[in-house]
Amino acid sequence: MKKAIGFALAVLATSVVAASAQGSNRITAVSAASFNCKSTITLPLVTPVTGGAGFLGAEQGSWASYAVKSLAKPLGLKVKFVLGDTPVEQGPAPAQALAQKYVADKSVLVVLGPSTSGAVAASSATYFQAHIAHISPSATRTSLTQGTPKDGTPAFFRDVPGDYIQGPSDANYMINTLKVKKVVLLDFQEPYSTGLSDAVEGVLKKAGVTTIRLSAPNTTTDYSAYVTKVPSDADIVFFPTQKPGDAQTFAQQLIEQGKKAKVFGGDGSNDPSAFKQAGSYVSNFAPDITGIKADAALVAGWKKANPGKAVGSFGPPSYGAAQIALNAISLACKAGHGTTTRQAVLGTIKKVKIKNWILGGSLRWSTKSNDPLNAKFYIFQIQADGSYKLVG
Amino acid sequence: VDTFLQLTVDALTLGSVYALIALGYTLVYGVLKLLNFAHGDVFMVGSFIGYGVLQLLGGTSKPVVPVWLLLVVMVLAAMVGCAALGVVIERFAYRPLRDAPRIAPLISALGVSFFLANSMQLLFGATPRNYNIFDLANASLYTKGFDIGNVHVALLRIITVVSAFVLMILLWLLVNRTRTGKAMRATSYDREAAAMMGIDIDKVIVFTFVLGSGLAGAGGVLQSLRVPTTVAIGFIVGLKGFTAAVIGGIGSIPGAMAGGLILGFAESFSQGYISTKWSDLIVFTILIAFMIFRPQGLLGRADIRKV
Repeated sequence: MKKAIGFALAVLATSVVAASAQGSNRITAVSAASFNCKSTITLPLVTPVTGGAGFLGAEQGSWASYAVKSLAKPLGLKVKFVLGDTPVEQGPAPAQALAQKYVADKSVLVVLGPSTSGAVAASSATYFQAHIAHISPSATRTSLTQGTPKDGTPAFFRDVPGDYIQGPSDANYMINTLKVKKVVLLDFQEPYSTGLSDAVEGVLKKAGVTTIRLSAPNTTTDYSAYVTKVPSDADIVFFPTQKPGDAQTFAQQLIEQGKKAKVFGGDGSNDPSAFKQAGSYVSNFAPDITGIKADAALVAGWKKANPGKAVGSFGPPSYGAAQIALNAISLACKAGHGTTTRQAVLGTIKKVKIKNWILGGSLRWSTKSNDPLNAKFYIFQIQADGSYKLVG
Repeated sequence: VDTFLQLTVDALTLGSVYALIALGYTLVYGVLKLLNFAHGDVFMVGSFIGYGVLQLLGGTSKPVVPVWLLLVVMVLAAMVGCAALGVVIERFAYRPLRDAPRIAPLISALGVSFFLANSMQLLFGATPRNYNIFDLANASLYTKGFDIGNVHVALLRIITVVSAFVLMILLWLLVNRTRTGKAMRATSYDREAAAMMGIDIDKVIVFTFVLGSGLAGAGGVLQSLRVPTTVAIGFIVGLKGFTAAVIGGIGSIPGAMAGGLILGFAESFSQGYISTKWSDLIVFTILIAFMIFRPQGLLGRADIRKV
């Protein structure tokens, strides 16, 4: 009996080793394979399409799809745009599964996203192993590109600034403009909100502001008990959620309990259709691009393709990410005289420079990290009519 | 004291909604010995029906009927819609498997849960729906109410708690003081013997689904008056409702009510006094403790079998 068990275990172990070796060889083979630039390229956008942050995927998908539709042909590329769903409620598993799927697909040269920091942290190593560049239009966690150890790999890029800018921007606005004395910070036990809360809390503490840290499971729907823990003399509740409707609920429950604190949301709550409680604040990596003259034709074209939809802040960076990806593929194809590889495309990303960048000015890369150079965060205050007014 | 009072108000609000969901689990389990894991998604459908009715009646900015009538119509519509849904689910997903091994209807229930969540997403998208009750009648449902010391008990919370308790009392009366209720109790006690006594088992089971799903519909609207709803909300709410039913003693109606309230209090007070970070851990530890030390739950019957 013991012999039989021992034999079975040995067979199992050998099979596992053989399967891993075969899998790893297959990844290497697919990654090194030469790609004919006249073939159809699959360009996935990995983003939450369903769940509480589904608005993100809807907005980002519409802009990335528009970028493919309007830019691929002039660059001489045939591109099929696809969406990969990573609901925030399901944690890192969907991002990991999608990464495996795209790595195995020879027609995938670059991936847009993942959109959230947690999904990037969960899948970046898989993309890196396969030499697939992945460009996020919204993952802002600092440690994805900076510090040691990093949660992202050298194959990860983002076209928006990270929380290393958002955290201090938000905190300095609270200190210098709002003159806060006491701030409550609520994180949601996932990488985006804990990272951003840490960044804000650090600056506030240095400035002598009293901080109270709360933490809610990402599945929380009713925040009453959290509102109860907000002291009546707190000035601000920093609420970096990825579900803007929750920021609205929290702001209303503060009023219900007679608390004077205002909600200050991060880029994840920047959704004028869901978070519209007057007096609240929200920050974002993108300005309102409808105010940028150079974008007028682009905005008009997108509106024509998406009738009835409003221009938000999450969509334009996705257009930008797709623009970078397509330009990088085009450059790599030219350098390879009609053929390219994933590795060649990866090496070309930081050579892409865009003169009329959708978020204003021009796009250039930092030489120290895979972040955009000179990018900044913007702070908005929500007005009585629910509109967002740029205040910082 | 203020914190204690506020947490008590929070706990009652939360617990009364959990109790409504737990009742649905317990009713179906009592009669069919089936864990209806689609129940949380019926709750979600109810919250969407409430949203749809609200929009049809002018939304919160310009309602075409008085506020009280608007709320009553929303709750009733969700109850009727969910009751109908419950009948359909029973007819097509559970009845064909009534005599199958117990694992089969359980898997079917999980299938129905995914079917409902994904169909709703296909039909209405993933965007969260917010009733925006705050905008109704100049936020009076939030600002009106009464004060206990420094604690404001908003009218909206009073409506939620009172409605839930009225529904629970009506259910208790129906089950304990009517012929139909007697038939339900008989079926729950011994289905075969009840059938031999002339009780139409099919009718009783359908009626049980009508009741359970109707309560879920009401719960969906009552919860969504205060927090946004999404097509994904059914899973976590269903899990909490199931936990409440188990704590109270699955199959026991007063147990489900007690379990819902215990869960509401455990959640609110652990968030308020122990740690906001560990509240789910504490809640589910209570569930595990019950499973180990009192598997029949607080008011449930121990299952004694002749061997």
